[in-house]
Order: sequence, then structure tokens, then C-alpha cells
Amino acid sequence: MSLWSFAIRNVRRNLRRSVLTGCVVVFGFCAFALAGGFMAQSLEGLRDSTIRSGMGHLQFAAPSAFSEGAVGAADQGLDGAEEIAAILKADPAVAEILPRLEFVGLLTNGERSVPFLGVGLDPVPESRAMDTPKMVAEGAWLRDRSERQVILGTGLAAALSVRVGGTVTLLATSRDGTLNAVDATVAGLANVPFKELNDRYLATSLGLASELLVAADRTSKFVVVLADPATAPAALPRLLGSLRARGHEVAGRSWQELAQFYRQVRTLYLGIFGFMGVILVVMVLLAAANTMMMAVTERTREIGTLRAIGTRPRIIRRLFLAEGMVLAICGCLAGAVLSLVVRLALNHSGIMLPPPPGAFQGSALHVKLYGTAYVAGALAMVLTLAAASWLPASRASRQRIVEALAHV
Amino acid sequence: MTRHNSGEYNPGTMQPSAELIIRGSGLGRTYALGTTRVRALQGVDIEIRVGDFLAIQGPSGSGKTTLINLLGLLDIPDEGEIALDGRPVAHLDEDQLADLRRDRLGFVFQTFSLIPVLTAAENVAYPMALKGLPVTAVTSRTRYLLERVGLGARAESRPDLLSGGERQRVAIARALANEPQLVLADEPTANLDSETASGILDLMRSLNEEKRVAFVVATHDPRVVAGSRRTATLRDGRFVGAA
Repeated sequence: MSLWSFAIRNVRRNLRRSVLTGCVVVFGFCAFALAGGFMAQSLEGLRDSTIRSGMGHLQFAAPSAFSEGAVGAADQGLDGAEEIAAILKADPAVAEILPRLEFVGLLTNGERSVPFLGVGLDPVPESRAMDTPKMVAEGAWLRDRSERQVILGTGLAAALSVRVGGTVTLLATSRDGTLNAVDATVAGLANVPFKELNDRYLATSLGLASELLVAADRTSKFVVVLADPATAPAALPRLLGSLRARGHEVAGRSWQELAQFYRQVRTLYLGIFGFMGVILVVMVLLAAANTMMMAVTERTREIGTLRAIGTRPRIIRRLFLAEGMVLAICGCLAGAVLSLVVRLALNHSGIMLPPPPGAFQGSALHVKLYGTAYVAGALAMVLTLAAASWLPASRASRQRIVEALAHV
Repeated sequence: MTRHNSGEYNPGTMQPSAELIIRGSGLGRTYALGTTRVRALQGVDIEIRVGDFLAIQGPSGSGKTTLINLLGLLDIPDEGEIALDGRPVAHLDEDQLADLRRDRLGFVFQTFSLIPVLTAAENVAYPMALKGLPVTAVTSRTRYLLERVGLGARAESRPDLLSGGERQRVAIARALANEPQLVLADEPTANLDSETASGILDLMRSLNEEKRVAFVVATHDPRVVAGSRRTATLRDGRFVGAA
């Protein structure tokens, strides 16, 4: 008769109460697994959309370009851009190099002017590596790096009442400090998933941006897309080392450093789910502790008998802890099955979620099968049940034998 | 050996030459009942030797159970000293006392006190498993003990499926599991009908005679008293007489 066999029989002894406590564990585990899966899915989605909305995995620019409030203007551009691109492209981890020329200016339809955040880019690799072209809700994405067309955020287009095919004028300060203007046709309107950016977003070809800024062949930034995102932490110092070895004064950042919004959302999620987790653990703790305390009270005479016939106090303690563990393990197994079923049902429910903070597009509810959440849930339940069993188990082991034997 | 608390020696029927198992000297125990302090036992001297069969009688509240508890190392006396095999037990910790109870003493309770989730065989095997005996030894001794108490066929029955007499037989088998020299029984026949009680008494007597296991039985039952080698009477926590 092993301790575990003894514990299992005791758990089965008052089946109804054990099932009720087991249910608390099941739902506690489910809450961990499903909330963790939902959080992981949300953060993963936000991470991917952040990376694929133009940020890439790594960015390289002049050191001043990454300073607070800096916009990558042409005067901060990189010297020797072609060689930099070649060095980056030569690295086996790099899948795509996206040259950018970032600038700010005013967009006018002849009657009204609205400030914009512009980016000159090479449309072909952008459409391969980024979701930016998929954001085009009306019209079409740019075709080549020298065309005289622009893509506007729908918010910016609405502010100027501009439609696809319409003509706008871009005003910006050129590299030499003079005001310059170019005309462009609106090729498409994009739904940028952050409202503030959607109201200011303008993308055009590198050629038109260079013409506007009078900065031929300048690049203010290289966005690098890696074949495997997990290699980013290793690739950044390696690429920076290669560039600096060839005399290029370049700074580099990973997406984690640049994605401030992602970091804020992640912190917020961790805070919310952490708080919920604590409440959950406390609820399970109280329910399980109540069950174990009742078990100890009901079995006082039996504990007295066990002690009388030579059971050491620590074995009594272990017995009740084992009973808690049996409840925890059974609850977690049932919880894992229930979580998988509920996850399947939710993922097929077609429930649409409201847009997250800063975005204006919702998404379908999807709960990821997130192993870490299952492990964390199991760990939380096992530790909670251990904590819930500890006090009653200690009490049981410390009872005076004669009082326990006389208990009615 | 039993002494009157007056100090007068009572020879009883036990041979003083038999090996001493346990001795209590000047035992006293006081309990707090609310604000009142009840003196359950005072100045009791007692000796139990191998092969002894002592019935302790007395009215309710006279201190019989208290004395059994002290001799069984289940409780600690406020006054006096208990020595097992000539060695005082006062300095022993909980684990050491538990090991002594497991290895040297057996217990039979009025309410049988079997573990309800274990079968009869598992109840008997429990103290042996606790001691860490090999499984084969545990199995064969369990079988032997259950056969000996007439319950070989009920080995796999759980206590709730056994009659009162059968439960008490299982309890006796369990008490003998680790071959103790002394079995302490607190009102072992109180919850049994007279026929069953006689059977239990006969069983204890035969084990006492065959195995030389000493029995100390706290009882109200005159048949138990009549069947004992020695008797002692407690009143108000003191020995007042011996048969």
C-alpha cells in the first residue's frame, strides 16, 4: 500500500466533495490555459503585424536617426548606401533588404494642407516582405521605385477628400533647406492599423521621395527582414560588426527595441492576466484549503489511530499533501482536456474581437495552443493545492493523539 | 506488577521473575476542562511483564483510559516516569515514540478504529509496511494473522462489510502485526454482543498463552475481569485494589 494509493482511496472516499474541489482545479487550469493562449495569440499577432507593417526585424540607420523624436530625413541619411545594402545582403540570415527614405511634409489638394509622415521605398521587395501592400483597401500598391504615385492612409485621404486617381502636391524641406514640392497621383488608399498613423501615412517610390528632398540616391534607413526571426538577437551585433569593419558609422536596432507600442501592450497584458491569475490562485487556494480542512476534521479519529499505531507525523503530513496532489493532477488532466475542447469551440465560433488599443480593426477570436500556459496552469494548480493542503496537513500531524482518538 | 498507590505491594499472580516490559512510577495526569483542572491519575505505579494479562477495572472517569494512554506512549504523564525495557521514554521525540509504538506495542480500541479505505488484510499489513518489512514477509504474516483470528476468508473485505466482532478480530491481528510484547486494549468488548465478546476474550487469552504476549485491558466487562490473570481497580485516578 503506497502513499499514493492510500491518497487516491481517500480522495475517492468522499467523491462528491473531491469532484467539487476537482472542478475548481479544472476551471482554474482552464482559465490559465485559455487566457494564456489568448494572450499569447494576441501578442504574437501584434508582434507579427508590428514587424510586417513595415518595421522588419532589424533596422540600420545613422546613429542620430534613432534619437528621440528624430525622423529619418535625408540629411541624416546614410553615406555609401549601396555598399551597406550589399554587406547586409551578403549575410546568410538576411532574407530581404528594404531601403527607406523617411521624411515629413505637407500634403495639399490645392485647397487644404495636412501634415504627413512620408516614406520613400522600393515597392517590389516591400510587397514581398511586408503586409503594407495588403493594407491597400482601394486602388493598387506602387509598382516600381521611380513612379510618381503615392499611397495614402485612408484617414489622411479623408482629411483632404482625396480619392484614388486624384492628384496631390507634396511639400517638404529639401536636403539643402529649401522648400520643394512635387505633384503625384494617388495610386491607392491604405488601412494602416493604427489610427494616428493612418491619419498621417504616405508612401511613395524612392525616386519621387529623392526628387522631393533633392537627395538623389540617399537612403535614410535599411529595414532588414530575416529568414528566421529568432536569429534577430544574434544577427544584429554581427551585421553591425560587418558594417563597422568596413568603415560605416551605422546604428542598428532590433524590432523589440523599436516596437514601443508592442512593449506597452505586452506589459498591460501581463499586468491584467497576472492580476487575474492571482485572484484565480486565491480562489482555488481557499476552495481547496476548505476541502482539505474538512477532510482533516472528519478524519480526526482516523489520524489518531494512524498515529497511535506508529505513523510518524511527517507521514501524516505527506498523506494529506499527496491527497492534494492527487486532486491537482486529476484536475489538471481534466482541465487540459476541457481547455482543448473549449479552445476548439472558441476558434470555430467566429466571434469578432474589438480593435486593440491604438488600432481600428478588430480580429476574429483565436486562442493559441500555448504549451507554456498549460505548464504554468498545471504548476500553479499543483503549487496552490500543495499550499492549500499544507496547513491542514500540518494541523493533522500536530494533533495530540489522545485528543484525536477521543474526537467525536 | 501492580502496586497500590498507597505503596502496599500487591503480588498479583504474575511471576516477578518474568521479563519486565514497561514500568510506570508515580504516574500522574491532570487535564484542563474549561477552567476546571481534573486530576485523572495520581501516584500510580505499575509494572507489566512478558506474558501478563492484566484487567484494569473501575467506574467511568476513574482513569483507566488515561493509564492505557500513558502505557501506550500516546500521552505524556505530568508526574512520574515511564520506562520501556528499563529505559525512560520522557526524553524521546515524536518520531522515536511513534517507532516504539509501531514496533513494541499493539493497540485495540473500543471502536475498532480500522482504516476504512483499507481492506482487512491491508489494515493488518499497515504497521508492517510502516516498519519497512519486505512485501513477501508482510503478505505471509498478514495471511497468518488473519487465519489466526479466524478471518482468512475475509482478507479482502473492507471494514464496513465486516461485523463488529470481525472488525475487532482484524484490530487484534493488526495489533499483533509487528510481534509486540505488549497489547493495550481499551474496552475491547464494549461494543460487542456477549457471544462475540466471549470470542474476542478467548482469542486474547489464547494469544497470551501461546505467544506470551502481555495484554493490559481496560474494561467494565466482568467476563474480561474474570478471564484475566491479574486485575487492578482504579478509582479517582488511584489503584484501590487488586484481584
